[in-house]
Amino acid sequence: MPFISNINFTEGTLVKRSLETFFGVGPKVSQSIMARFHIQPWAKVGSLKQSTLLDLTAELSNMKIENDLRREVQENIRRLRDMGAYRGRRHAMGLPVRGQRTRTQIATARKLNKTNRGGDGSFGM
Amino acid sequence: MPPSTCLWTLTQRSPETAVRFLSKIHPQVVYFSTSQARYANPSPKKKTMTAAPKRGTKTLNTKKGRSAAQDTGKRPAPGDRKQARKRIVLTNDNALAVASLKDMDKADTTSETSQGQVLGIPEATVDALRAVEAFKTTQGWNLFRRPATLMRKETIELAKVMNEAEGQKRTLRRILSGERLSGKSTLLLQALSMAFVREWVVINLPEAQDIVNAHTEYAPLPDSQPTQYTQDTYMANLLGQILKANSSASNPFLAKTQVTANHTLPVALPANASLKQLIEVGIVSPEASWPVFLALWRELTQPGRPPIMLAIDGTAHVMKESDYLNAQVKPIHSFDLAIVRHFIDHLSGAKSLPNGGVVLAATSQSNAPKTPALDFSIEVAEARRVNPNNIPRWNPYKNIDPRVMEAFKDLHSPTAENGAGGVNAMDVIKVGGLSKDEARSIMEYYAESGMLRAKVDDGFVTEKWSLAGMGNIGELERASVRFRI
Repeated sequence: MPFISNINFTEGTLVKRSLETFFGVGPKVSQSIMARFHIQPWAKVGSLKQSTLLDLTAELSNMKIENDLRREVQENIRRLRDMGAYRGRRHAMGLPVRGQRTRTQIATARKLNKTNRGGDGSFGM
Repeated sequence: MPPSTCLWTLTQRSPETAVRFLSKIHPQVVYFSTSQARYANPSPKKKTMTAAPKRGTKTLNTKKGRSAAQDTGKRPAPGDRKQARKRIVLTNDNALAVASLKDMDKADTTSETSQGQVLGIPEATVDALRAVEAFKTTQGWNLFRRPATLMRKETIELAKVMNEAEGQKRTLRRILSGERLSGKSTLLLQALSMAFVREWVVINLPEAQDIVNAHTEYAPLPDSQPTQYTQDTYMANLLGQILKANSSASNPFLAKTQVTANHTLPVALPANASLKQLIEVGIVSPEASWPVFLALWRELTQPGRPPIMLAIDGTAHVMKESDYLNAQVKPIHSFDLAIVRHFIDHLSGAKSLPNGGVVLAATSQSNAPKTPALDFSIEVAEARRVNPNNIPRWNPYKNIDPRVMEAFKDLHSPTAENGAGGVNAMDVIKVGGLSKDEARSIMEYYAESGMLRAKVDDGFVTEKWSLAGMGNIGELERASVRFRI
């Protein structure tokens, strides 16, 4: 079974989909990575050559993804909180950060605005 | 003495024993009541939502929410649906064999006498056409006993073009345009079958969309400026089609001809290899398919080789940017795909066929992206045929693709008009409606096949011809064979 960045994917998985399982790789980034290595949008992981898989792994290892990226985001929030900024306080309280009303509709803020945003990465594949 | 169950004995008993006694003679009955449900305690609320389980953890899935009546029918195996969708049926056992049907032979494809006749496609040619995917699922081949086509005016025009190309060793380029269902793809198929009958080498790109829709692998071609892109899997498949179609039992040209020039291929070629072996190398190792195709092309254009028929269907798809992306994440223009580039070079006249040949591009009206440059070029060529002094002007508010305009410049320039022998090097064949004679001929064939149960007389032919929008052959087939009452 093909490995990308030490993660095992089934042969029938789309390359696009398998790239997007990494935290920090979305539609745009996966598109640009695939274009760089001349992989067509509907390619499946099983159809890639071993050298291409290694190229993809090397490319991903140079990028800030997964726990490195999570840590960066969390450190940004922690910095705000530690210096006592309003934005940091709002993050800590799980409330909207940018002046939105809080009477209703703050589900997203409650979900996302945490000091350890993006989770601890322990469930990373 | 009265029986022990006699009712008057009740009076002599205590009330408790009387009730017990009554329940004995009347077994207890539960009456219908809604009060129990109404006064029941409200059902306990669902427990508060817990967070969804994290990815990778196993949960007990009891599938409570699903309805019991689920479709448990067997799913088709992978590939079955596609096979059913693409299946080409060329025979109908319920249709009658037409006794008067004659096979197309070489004489038919060189003379005008066959105009208006329905001619059968020879069996070997049918196999070859199947190999190059010239038959479409939307065409009505499955209605008749065996494939046969009407030699219409446009077919004869194409036959003349092929005569000229073969006789004078010219490269003649034609674009097939016309209304929806007017028979453009069938005319292309007729051209291919005439080429097979004449023992030309036929290379057909069955569907332009398949080349550009980014469903096959691609890779930049080394040392190409500007960068071109090869599609190895597609090319290997195309080489397979070329081999299968052009090596019939009666014409083993590829197997008999030896490779003459010295080609630099990434894969070793056996000594004194034939063209067939050359192609097989490309099929077996797709990474060598493009160099093999180029080598094959060089061999085919050596002096003394047969003319070439190069064809494509659904041309509009290659007249725009493809769905492939280059390394800078910009769309690749279809003309930068190596096989499309190769075709367009021959269609535009940048390269010619030394042994003569015809380059055909059929358009489509049912599956075609917007290509104003192609549409305009066709419009100009059609207008020039009617009146050379009244040629439409370009609409400056439409988006022009300069590369496409450049490819079709021969259609715009009046200097390209006067080719030798009165046959233009590049032109548009407008596939129009049938004449009434042609309509009658094909309807008689329908009737002889038993698929049209009516007396084919002038009135009937005229009625169907008019209903079919002045003899549009697809509509004619619909009106007389498919939707008959």
